[in-house]
Amino acid sequence: MAEQRIVITIDENGKINASTEGIKGEMCLDELQELLGSLEELQYISKTDEFYQANELKSQNKIQNKKQ
Amino acid sequence: MSAVVKTITPFINKEFLLQALDAIGCKYTLQGNEIITERVDYYGNQKFVLINGRFQFQHDSSANREQYPWRNLNVKEYKTVSSFLVAVESKYHYFYNLKMEELEKQRQEEERIRLENERKAFVEKQKESIIAKAKEKGYSVKEENVKGKVKLVLVRNTY
Repeated sequence: MAEQRIVITIDENGKINASTEGIKGEMCLDELQELLGSLEELQYISKTDEFYQANELKSQNKIQNKKQ
Repeated sequence: MSAVVKTITPFINKEFLLQALDAIGCKYTLQGNEIITERVDYYGNQKFVLINGRFQFQHDSSANREQYPWRNLNVKEYKTVSSFLVAVESKYHYFYNLKMEELEKQRQEEERIRLENERKAFVEKQKESIIAKAKEKGYSVKEENVKGKVKLVLVRNTY
C-alpha cells in the first residue's frame, strides 16, 4: 500500500503552492492539473530527480501558480 | 451705466445651513420651512425661508447699514446683512466640504470592503473546488489555517 500525498496552500490572495509526494513521474502534474484546473498561469515548477524516474515510488513536485 | 452683481451661494441644504448658523453663534428656531433667527430688524425676526428649493434670507433691506437700529442683534460682529450672510456662506461651504470628504471616505471604505469580499469569495470558491475534486478522486482532505493561509493536506492510499 502506497500513500499519495498532496499538500496545497492557498494564500490570502488566492495564490496556490502545491507539492506532491508518492505520485510517479508525470502523473503528479496531471493530478495537480485535475485538482487545480488550468496550470497555464504557472509561475514556478521545481522537479526533483525522482520526477524523472518513472517507476520511482516517490516523486515530488512543487508548483506555484499565479492567482487569476 | 453698467453693474456688477455678485450673489452668495444659494443655501439649498438645511443641514449645512443650520450647522453654519450654529458655528457662527446665531441662535434660531425652526418653524416648518422657516429658520427664524434672533436677529430682529424693524419688521421682526430675520429668517431663512425655503422658496423654490433654496433658503432665502428675508430681512429689512435697510439692515445693510452699519448704523442700523437693530431691535436685537445676537451676533454682534455681523452688523450688516451682507457681512452676516458672507459669514454663514463661509461656514456653509466648510460643512458642505466636510460632508463631501466624509462621503468620499465612506465610498472608499465601501469599495475597499467590496474588493476584500470579492477576494475572499474567490479564495473560498477556489478552496471548495479543490476539496470537491479531491474527494471525488478518493483523497481524504484535512484543512488547516496557517498564518492566514489555507492549507489542504490530501492523502490517498493506492495498492
